[in-house]
Amino acid sequence: MPTYKLSYFDLRGRGELARLVFKAAQRDFEDDRVQREDWPTLKASTPFGQMPVLDVDGKKLAQSNTISRFLAREFNLAGKDSFEQAQCDQYLELVEDMFKEFAKAFFEKDEEKKKEINKNLSEVVFPKFLGLFEKALEANGGSFLVGNSLSLADLGVYNGFDTPLQQNPKMMDSYPKLKALRSRIEGMPTIGDYLKNRKVSDI
Amino acid sequence: MMPCYKFYYFDARGRGELCRYALHAKQRDFEDIRLGGDKWQNFKPSTPFGQMPVLDVDGKKLAQSGAIARYLARELDLAGKNCWEQAACDQYMELADDMFTELVKSFFEKDEAKKAEVMKNLNDVVLPKFLALFESSLNRNGGCYFVGDGLTIADLAVYSAFDTPLKRCPTLLDSFPKLKAQRAKIEGLPKLGEYIKNRKPTDI
Repeated sequence: MPTYKLSYFDLRGRGELARLVFKAAQRDFEDDRVQREDWPTLKASTPFGQMPVLDVDGKKLAQSNTISRFLAREFNLAGKDSFEQAQCDQYLELVEDMFKEFAKAFFEKDEEKKKEINKNLSEVVFPKFLGLFEKALEANGGSFLVGNSLSLADLGVYNGFDTPLQQNPKMMDSYPKLKALRSRIEGMPTIGDYLKNRKVSDI
Repeated sequence: MMPCYKFYYFDARGRGELCRYALHAKQRDFEDIRLGGDKWQNFKPSTPFGQMPVLDVDGKKLAQSGAIARYLARELDLAGKNCWEQAACDQYMELADDMFTELVKSFFEKDEAKKAEVMKNLNDVVLPKFLALFESSLNRNGGCYFVGDGLTIADLAVYSAFDTPLKRCPTLLDSFPKLKAQRAKIEGLPKLGEYIKNRKPTDI
């Protein structure tokens, strides 16, 4: 069995989805949380000067979604065939689209503009994506986004709503299937424990 | 029986061209359906998420350009020879997408003052950074391809990402010989080369 080491900052950000994949698959890995002051020295040894980086028996992989997809395939969390793998990818990209909107608000320095962006987020953007995901769950029988078991798609959507929910805990209240999926994931062995006990980070 | 592919997108390169490249590179038949205006509005409700591109595979629909491109890469043997190489391809697709996202920001910036600033950053910082990353990646892998020893979706993704920047600045790759050579190689492929030579120019 290969040895895995995931290097990222000590927060959720773009590293958490890969961590969730390991936990959902109940696979061991070194959860290498890099402190900000140590990052500059490490940077040169990464493929593209960024994290997360996955080290698999000495070979390195960069780019957060690449890492998550790779692990999902290795651990049978990427659907049962190529088409289901593509469906997982679809949802991952949809989450990415939502994340890009959300990031705009997070990084906006101008207070007036920030208020405008946040208003748009809560009135237009989040309802749009919540609606899309809820509908997708319904269309697939209600429990999972792809096929009939947990996949990277479900973990990606779970992870994508972590920070928005921290800011607005009621945001999923009118989306019962999404809300139930979250509870289902939180009740699974290993990943459930991890989610319950992980330290809170802003992002 | 080979599946029947229908590819729906606007009549532009944008987020659809990479999928078209993959299909042409492997000389695979497909319906290249270009929609706009009313035709697009009428089609919209039947798409998975109200967007294009959409790939219809024997009646089953897939959305999201990256998901479609990766699916086609696997089906058309453009995804490397094993799971690790598939991930290596993914890496370059994501890097190309990071660059594409920066380009989109500059293209859609309406404020004239901000646009000048964004363009300057693009030309002085962003493009040089990605050019260097891609060139050094090619060098590390023997010079011809990004992954393994044959054409993959990674090469096509990088090719596609530089389409619009090269229109604005045709000498952009002049100091990046491996990238430049790879473009020429891709343009020399049968069917794909023909497609690239004969397609009508679009801004994006």
